Amino acid sequence: MVNLDEPAQSNPAQAPAPQRQEAAAAALRSVLPEDCVLWREAERRPYECDGLTAFRQIPMLVALPRTEEQVHQVLRLCNRLDLPVVARGAGTGLSGGAMPHASGVLLSLARLNRILEINPLARQARVQPGVRNLQVSEAAASYGLYYAPDPSSQIACSIGGNVAENSGGVHCLKYGLTIHNVLRLRGFTMEGELLELGSSALDGPGLDLLATVIGSEGLLMIVTEVTLKLIPRPQLAQLVMASFDDVGKAGDAVAAIISAGIIPAGLEMMDRKATQAVEPFVRAGYDLSAEAILLAEADGSPEEVLEQIAEIERVLRAAGATALTVSHSEAERLRFWSGRKNAFPAAGRVSPDYYCMDGTIPRKNLGHMLKAIEQMEAEHGLRCMNVFHAGDGNLHPLILFDANQPGEWERADRFGAQILELCVQLGGTITGEHGVGVEKINSMCVQFSPRERAAFFGIKRAFDPSGLLNPGKAIPTLARCAEYGKMHVHAGALPHADLPRF
Amino acid sequence: MPAPSPTPTCRDSEPMEAELLRLREQVLIARRDRTPLRLRGAGTKDFYSASNSQSTPCTTVDLRPFSGILDYEPSELVITARCGTPLSQIEAALAERGQFLGFEPPGFGADPTLGGIVAAGLSGPRRLSAGAVRDFVLGAALLAGDGELLQFGGRVMKNVAGFDVARLLCGSLGIFGIITQVCIKVLPRPRAEATVQLEMKAGEAIEAFNRWGSRPLPVSGAAWYDGGARIRFSGAVPAVEKACTQIGGKRLDAAAAQRWWDSLRHYTHPLFSSDSLWRLSLPQTAAPLDLSGDPLIDWGGALRWYAGDQGERDVRELAQRAAGTAMRWRGPAATGRFHPLSPAVAEIHRRLKRAFDPEGIFNPGRLLADL
Amino acid sequence: MQTRLASEFRDRPEGRTADEILRACVHCGFCLATCPTYQLLGDELDSPRGRIYQIKQVLEGAPPSRAIQVHLDRCLTCRACETACPSGVEYGHLVDIGRAEVDARTKRPLAERLYRWALREGVSRPRLFGFALRTGRAVSGLLPKRLRSKLGHRRPTGSWPTQIHARKVLLPTACTQPSLSPPIDFATARVLDAVGLQSIVVQGAGCCGAIRQHLSDQEGALAQCRANIDAWWPYVESEQVEAIVVNASGCAAMIKEYGHLLRNDPQYSSKAAHIVQRLRDPVQVLAPELERLRKRLSPQGSRRIAFHPPCTLQHALQIRGKVEGLLRALGAELVPVADAHLCCGSAGTYSLLQSDLAEELRTRKLETLLREQPDLVLSANIGCIAHLQGACAVPVRHWLEWVDAALTAGRTPPMSQTGKKEVR
Repeated sequence: MVNLDEPAQSNPAQAPAPQRQEAAAAALRSVLPEDCVLWREAERRPYECDGLTAFRQIPMLVALPRTEEQVHQVLRLCNRLDLPVVARGAGTGLSGGAMPHASGVLLSLARLNRILEINPLARQARVQPGVRNLQVSEAAASYGLYYAPDPSSQIACSIGGNVAENSGGVHCLKYGLTIHNVLRLRGFTMEGELLELGSSALDGPGLDLLATVIGSEGLLMIVTEVTLKLIPRPQLAQLVMASFDDVGKAGDAVAAIISAGIIPAGLEMMDRKATQAVEPFVRAGYDLSAEAILLAEADGSPEEVLEQIAEIERVLRAAGATALTVSHSEAERLRFWSGRKNAFPAAGRVSPDYYCMDGTIPRKNLGHMLKAIEQMEAEHGLRCMNVFHAGDGNLHPLILFDANQPGEWERADRFGAQILELCVQLGGTITGEHGVGVEKINSMCVQFSPRERAAFFGIKRAFDPSGLLNPGKAIPTLARCAEYGKMHVHAGALPHADLPRF
Repeated sequence: MPAPSPTPTCRDSEPMEAELLRLREQVLIARRDRTPLRLRGAGTKDFYSASNSQSTPCTTVDLRPFSGILDYEPSELVITARCGTPLSQIEAALAERGQFLGFEPPGFGADPTLGGIVAAGLSGPRRLSAGAVRDFVLGAALLAGDGELLQFGGRVMKNVAGFDVARLLCGSLGIFGIITQVCIKVLPRPRAEATVQLEMKAGEAIEAFNRWGSRPLPVSGAAWYDGGARIRFSGAVPAVEKACTQIGGKRLDAAAAQRWWDSLRHYTHPLFSSDSLWRLSLPQTAAPLDLSGDPLIDWGGALRWYAGDQGERDVRELAQRAAGTAMRWRGPAATGRFHPLSPAVAEIHRRLKRAFDPEGIFNPGRLLADL
Repeated sequence: MQTRLASEFRDRPEGRTADEILRACVHCGFCLATCPTYQLLGDELDSPRGRIYQIKQVLEGAPPSRAIQVHLDRCLTCRACETACPSGVEYGHLVDIGRAEVDARTKRPLAERLYRWALREGVSRPRLFGFALRTGRAVSGLLPKRLRSKLGHRRPTGSWPTQIHARKVLLPTACTQPSLSPPIDFATARVLDAVGLQSIVVQGAGCCGAIRQHLSDQEGALAQCRANIDAWWPYVESEQVEAIVVNASGCAAMIKEYGHLLRNDPQYSSKAAHIVQRLRDPVQVLAPELERLRKRLSPQGSRRIAFHPPCTLQHALQIRGKVEGLLRALGAELVPVADAHLCCGSAGTYSLLQSDLAEELRTRKLETLLREQPDLVLSANIGCIAHLQGACAVPVRHWLEWVDAALTAGRTPPMSQTGKKEVR
């Protein structure tokens, strides 16, 4: 059954004919300087993947524009020549969202890297998409302001990428996701139309297209300018580190904190395997005998922090914490966080490769999920260390494997998919902040019904009728779901179980 | 370890199945007969529409019967309720557990439904610090024109699977279908709250609000009217006390403060009964505009209400030059109630409408005159 | 990352080393944040991650090409990426292997080959370099501005300390340092003398080998390493000296690698390891003597100083904040410097081979160094000092020169003479 409403460009792996590449390269060179077009294979290859190296596809060409107008011209040209376009920021994404299309252009926004304006009175920063997340806070620091969303890759990840994925981070529990901190986007559709969504004002007429584009994984438009909300730096921030002898207790402690009406600035959990992996590198002083440690941060005025830390300690003690430590200096606080923030790549020190998962479940099910993961470890014969944005119920199980061992990646992949399906069954979602990309596209068949996916394609068509932006990502076609063989599962029950399957 | 508690998702429980089927029936009939539907909750926002007159006859769908809180988890900070649930019911359930809706939805002196609140997307004074409706919507279910029930989002804040349709529905004024239920994030009530009042001119107030915004003060409301600036602080007790001391002014007693903020939130302030009223949404730092009379300022300067006779073109032009927009809240509007959209954005609106409601049966003319 | 090394590399020791390093890399991209060339060029190919990937392609059998060579040439080898990397990737070692392989199989344009040959042969020979420099200075008016700005000026050195101390250290000297800035070694010797350390300079020791190593003459570099070890070994073995103090961090960074470079040489591997153990940066021998130094310092008028920590000090030697701490303890007023982790663009012969990038980096570095209007810029490596001084309105000196000046202030006679080192 062919669905005519779905885009035709889905398969990213169709290789182009050489004449096509030459013609496209020549066309790009008519709108870009020589050093902004990469056509040699050796120069295209390092662009074949983002932070998820398991999914690779060499692009037909790579374009590296320097200005907004160049981006505009590239899009118009690709539209005219029917070339798929995949956008890339810093290439730190973990779902393969920037994996190129074989017969398309990989459009790097890394050279649009200027901070255009910081307005300290209005508390806004206007930046280009290639600006690094941390760079914004560094530039705003002298005004006593900062940009709150702090994904762990913030040292390197780009604002454009944050917008595409609706990135979160350790502090999003209190300060929100990217969507809560972006006021305005400016950019182009695939058709070359200039779009300005949102504004420096707090609202505007019509539909909230800003909210639709944020988190749209490069499928709806290419962003060339972002206006970010800056907030005052809190006077003080302090971290409580708590040890637990049981992961279930730690999960319950998280729920207890929220129930007590406390919204910490950050609330993270790491299990024993995770702390043992990162401690030798960061030397943060993690309690290596604890089954799980919780990091809870309070920020604000010194009085507020004193009060909140005391409350948090009280709740954690009542929840069975076996040890409690409070950071005594800014340097110490940053050191306690560094292990959590460096957890993913630090896993690279204890295992040749790791596969970082990203799912969200209601907080109260954390303990259950961790026990289930333990069972899956035995089932798949692979270790898994766990790091969480516990306050949001957003898990990052890191499945450890060795890609050079035949079959291990496939096992890791299956292990991961199983975790995601359990997330859906427990009332959560397959991706909390890393995006669907190409990695979780099959799991979308489990989380959404065909009709819901058709609605997504409707939105896609509204912005990109030709389907040239990032084809084959995020939203699976009917054909793909049929191939994957999984039906829409909701709360553990299949709908219409009695109907025959095709 | 006990098994995880069964998690009711945004799917219906049996008692309301009949009501949902009835709604589905109405939708399918409307589609078959090409008779548009006018979706209505408590009717508090009937005036909030692009066009006043209805060229095509519509059948009104009363959504109030489809009511009830499906799930409320205080420890998860999430409440799920059907679209017809009145605000008072939701707020009572939350208040019992010391929680509330951070975006302060307006009541207009009546009792609006959750569906209407989300569909209109209006937020109160606390929007300045806590965020708007759409910042709190986690998931929604939509009954589409073909009778299918679609679930978007979920019960968790960190959710980036698929496009953010639940947030797109906020402020969509019912043009995509019937929002049958919504999952909303809730917040714990602040420990302390206090409002201070200072006498100053409008321009000074705007400047002050912005200056204070750059400092780590727990501001949850900043408004000005008729020579008086009122600032509300919410949060931990020591923080609120310190802020009041630092800013000074006259501290209002709790009842007076509540009255003031409620009059803004619920549109019961006398200003909102003016025959002619413009709602300007501007950057917080925008200087006072060259319009007649002083506005009522809310959202720290980002929302300005101008009553009295103002030239329609003047208002829109001045607002636009200040990088904002203007809406004709009350009074006749020759060029339409809402601020016009750019052609590119309007085109996307049309395409989205076609994608979700190809037959055009839901709330025609509500969001855009020609949609 | 997953690797599939080609058979020709799998069995070679370099291949195995490279494979280990490649497997440590998880392609996270954190290194892009601190790479100066990525900041300038915005191209993955000119980032550490991209270079790692290109080297991986070559070692997995892809043909090396001029394009890859250019991207590897553009690497400063500043190793800021190693500091940023959470996975412990030894990028410095990998890029050496990658460059050797690519350079062995890819022909450079003739002009480039000649230039690199001249640098290899000329710069690392102190007498030849000194001659070239003096000639250059004599005809500086005729030289292009770029070259002229690198020449510097002669300054008086003062005299070499003559006191004998029980505690002795070897003081190797950078090959270009005696010509470009003779006062540095004299100042070093005097400061060490002030804390009771006698400096010994030995014959037979020459260039540390960095220039040849980074211009893909691994064999020539190893020969220089061995020559140095031969010259120093008698003093180390007999424990006549307690440390080898190297006042140019670029050279120290290279000497620190002697153990790794000679690990497969049965005659030198053990000696090299010992030598590396005795290696010290001046701050490491002076910090314990802080009180002694403080007593001998004359009060200085407050001078605003900007300190530029060389990449080799921060990233290769992993010495961060120590020199700044010592200077502050001795009464210096250090101004804040943004982006201190970024390279100034000198990077050995880089400033001569990649002058466009080197100059852009220098411009950015000087902007951050001079933003708070210091009176003086101090650093810890002759390369950085010479490079920065080429475009800096404010004096750029070695930090030991400042300490030395503070020690000799008020002492007569003033430093107007030019002395001679004692060489054994």
